[in-house]
Amino acid sequence: MADLVTITVDGVAMQGKAGEVLIKVAEDNGNFIPRFCWHPRMKPVGMCRMCLVEVVGPRGRMLVPSCTTTINEGMEVDTQSAVVKKAQEGVLEYLLINHPLDCPVCDKGGECPLQDHTVAYGPGESRFVEEKRHFEKPIPISELVLLDRERCILCARCTRFSDEISGDPLIEFKDRGNAVQVITFPGEPFSSYFSGNTVQICPVGALTAKPYRFKARPWDLEAVESVSMVDSIGSKVSVQSSQNEVVRIDGIDNDATNHGWLSDKDRFVFESIHSADRITTPLIKEEGQFREATWGEALDLVAERLTSFPGAQVAGLGGANSTNEEAYTFGKFLRTIVVTPHIDAQLDDGLDPQFLVGVTPRAAIPDLETAKTILLWAADLKEEYPVLYLRVRRAAAELGANLIVVHPRATGLDDVATHKVRYRPGTGPEVLRELTGDDADYTEIREALAAGPVVGIVGRTGLGEDPRLAEAVAAFVRDFSEGKIMPLARRGNVVGALDMGLAPTLLPGRVSESAAHDVLESEWGPLPEGLGRNATSILEGLRDGELRALIMLGTDPVRDHAEPELAAAGLDGAEFVVAMDQFITDSVAAADVVFPVAGFAEVEGTVTNIEGRVQKVNRLVPSPGQTRATWSVLDDLARRMDGNLGATAAAAIAKEITGVAPAYHGVTWDALDWGDGREGLLLPLAEGVQHLEYIPVDGQLASVDARYGLHLGRVLYDDGVRVRMSPSLAALRPEGAVFLNAAALDALGLAPGSPAVVEGASGRVELPVAVDNSLGDGTVYVPANLESTRSLGAAVAVTVSPGGDA
Amino acid sequence: MKPATLSEAEMDAISDWSESSQQLVRELLGKYPDKRSAVMPLLYVSMIENGYVTAEGMKSVAVLTGLTGAQVQSVASFYSMYKREELGKYLVSVCTSISCFLLGADDVLAAIEDETGVPDGETGHDGTFTVEHVECNGACGGAPVVLVNYEMVEGVTAEKARELVKWLRDGGPDVVGTEEMQQLFGGAKSFDWAVREPEGAVLPVPAFAPYGSARGVK
Ligand code: SF4
Ligand code: FES
Ligand code: FES
Repeated sequence: MADLVTITVDGVAMQGKAGEVLIKVAEDNGNFIPRFCWHPRMKPVGMCRMCLVEVVGPRGRMLVPSCTTTINEGMEVDTQSAVVKKAQEGVLEYLLINHPLDCPVCDKGGECPLQDHTVAYGPGESRFVEEKRHFEKPIPISELVLLDRERCILCARCTRFSDEISGDPLIEFKDRGNAVQVITFPGEPFSSYFSGNTVQICPVGALTAKPYRFKARPWDLEAVESVSMVDSIGSKVSVQSSQNEVVRIDGIDNDATNHGWLSDKDRFVFESIHSADRITTPLIKEEGQFREATWGEALDLVAERLTSFPGAQVAGLGGANSTNEEAYTFGKFLRTIVVTPHIDAQLDDGLDPQFLVGVTPRAAIPDLETAKTILLWAADLKEEYPVLYLRVRRAAAELGANLIVVHPRATGLDDVATHKVRYRPGTGPEVLRELTGDDADYTEIREALAAGPVVGIVGRTGLGEDPRLAEAVAAFVRDFSEGKIMPLARRGNVVGALDMGLAPTLLPGRVSESAAHDVLESEWGPLPEGLGRNATSILEGLRDGELRALIMLGTDPVRDHAEPELAAAGLDGAEFVVAMDQFITDSVAAADVVFPVAGFAEVEGTVTNIEGRVQKVNRLVPSPGQTRATWSVLDDLARRMDGNLGATAAAAIAKEITGVAPAYHGVTWDALDWGDGREGLLLPLAEGVQHLEYIPVDGQLASVDARYGLHLGRVLYDDGVRVRMSPSLAALRPEGAVFLNAAALDALGLAPGSPAVVEGASGRVELPVAVDNSLGDGTVYVPANLESTRSLGAAVAVTVSPGGDA
Repeated sequence: MKPATLSEAEMDAISDWSESSQQLVRELLGKYPDKRSAVMPLLYVSMIENGYVTAEGMKSVAVLTGLTGAQVQSVASFYSMYKREELGKYLVSVCTSISCFLLGADDVLAAIEDETGVPDGETGHDGTFTVEHVECNGACGGAPVVLVNYEMVEGVTAEKARELVKWLRDGGPDVVGTEEMQQLFGGAKSFDWAVREPEGAVLPVPAFAPYGSARGVK
């Protein structure tokens, strides 16, 4: 614990930690000092002078910026003196010399710090009658952000954010002096995955975001706190609506997860909520065509068809994009009403479910703040877990942790990494053996790892990588002093879905099927015997006629499964497919009946992030048309199948979960809504128990031997349905390409842009080649899940050859 | 201070630069443990290559220093000696700070503007002259001061300034040197600078030997 220092502000004694700045200590103790440039998550710069206060020093009273003044024992501060008031008035009068005062047409009007401070601390009038500085009114500086330089007060929050926090300083001051402005470099737009944060923290309306511009006035907005379900990090957000339409998502500062930051995907994906393509009525397929149906008709049909199959010939996929309450109800429906053990929330694109929910010792995100060494052997965080990327970046760049990045190609964190290892996909096990052995190349890395605490962030670097490699890496990390593990899987609530038992080997509450089968029967009644199939095996079973019907909940195996051909064949082979979804995805298109269900911002419930932290998501807008909550659809269906799920309301289901799921004992919505619980609750709580303690083991995998190893890595803006349905994000999807290093291009006789064919056991693509010299010999990189790349599949061993007529 | 070895991408960024500039880049980068610190000298090298700081030049410097274009632009746009427009063969800078001003710098500037036909801050159509006024050059004792391609002439009068312009226009040398100009057009000097400046300048880029803009011995 840092030493406490006592100071007096306006006659009130208060304490802060040694080294803290005055403005923060005062605010933490209820005394708000006005400011523009200071931001609690960034280094102080003292640029705007709005925070001037008087400090009594050895040479008398002195005006100092409170954002750059660290506190000293016995410091006496006056924030209210006549001198301070005069300074504040002067600063504001100066800031407004060039400010256009176009508040009536400014997005920020009504929530603008400049407006608010001018009213609260300003002089009320100005002596400056001269013509103001003029710039072209808002100019786009990226596809998403516009910049109005007339409004800018030059606080450098945006430029510092992009330099210090996100590490992509694409905006900077130009012509410092009288003509200073914030601007990009010609031909290099502000196309950062994090650009929306600058819009949020700009203290004026200089930066605005296209998806929200002119949509609403702040005082008309309704808002709830919630949690982003774009990825499994669980960033805290404020969801805001106007006239029952979500128009904006902002980040909320919390210590646990996102520090207030969001990726642009978290922020702008709300566009999909009100997409015209939402399904709003139940659909029944007749002669290959969907027709609209009533709920009664559709439910009756599904109940009748599902009853006609033996339970064990039915399977369920999905739930990883649903709330815990929905996932729980889905699992209970499958296990007790349909009576099938074939359940999987993942699509063989993540990790072993028991490893994911039960790994010990598990790292939490705040462990990154104290870690000495971080071993990152997982996806490119910038592309798949952008907010976690920010936290790791901070740990390495700000807090001085050693960062070891092991990946097949350059990642967004390489510039702050202390060690980088690149390898050809398929040879991961060999690299791990060299690392664990005494290979001289890795001596430095071993030395770094010897400095604990160590956090190992493990996951599949690409879709084709064997998930057991991540587990082997985890087993390696575990041996280091204070080694903790953070296993990664991506889908929004994947950990929650697994915690609710949506995997063949798991039952609700972080317990294994085998251990908890009998206990759960006492709550739920009889359960199917034996272990069920996982996603791949379910699809194979459907294809081969061993399984006959499929229920999907918010999942798109045709696009997301590593073997698209298998997924299509599985759906094709099924006699009956029912889908609960918001959009007609490629997989939903293969369904016989579609139930339209409510989604993010339309339902209340809980979600569990990658650390096992439970947080509350909230409802803000009604769901469109005849859409209904997933749990109520399943409840209705159960009744029609002579069962009863008891799913009467999300809150009631939450109570049932707390009782039934051991790791969830003690979790209440009240605790999540108020007080410290707003940071989420890391499970298990004192009242709860986590029976499953999964110790990762090194399965001694063999390397895959091949001339070319395929790295099928995800990009942030891919063809996932929510990106496709959010016009602002859809426009940012990259073109597909085949990436090789320059030497490989030469060897194949290919020029950049000419077509190349990549072919493996699970598919083939023909695309233009591009150079990526971060790829080693024999590595070929293809971005996953783009329209042009999806036919490839994830098999690691591939061949590469010239395409076209060559 | 071993010259740095350039990566492929770094070499690509300056592939159209002259051999000598490329060597200079290696030497400069070798001098700084943190390569972004080399941004300022490298900007001068880009000026030697392109005559002024171009967008491409900034881009190249960005690649060499690991900065973004926006960051390099931020530096390049702060300092007035990084010129961001094409200049004349001779950059004539007239000091108008206090000492020079008191001793007639305004007349000197007016004479130069009139004789060259180029207003303050601009470049003539024929590309011979760029005229500008600048802040104190630290030679106040020799005021008023005029610089040609950063080579200094002290104690200049309006008449001498006109002669200087004519001399430059009618077959002025490729390499201008302070000694020669001082003799022909200068007056009282602040003091004897003691160090002989054997080199002159061929470009409107400061003739600092380490930046390689000084050429030829007069
Ligand atoms: S654009 Fe906004 S955040 Fe950036 S410097 Fe200007 S006022 Fe500050
Ligand atoms: S907030 Fe302190 S100077 Fe801006
Ligand atoms: S004032 Fe002109 S050189 Fe100092």
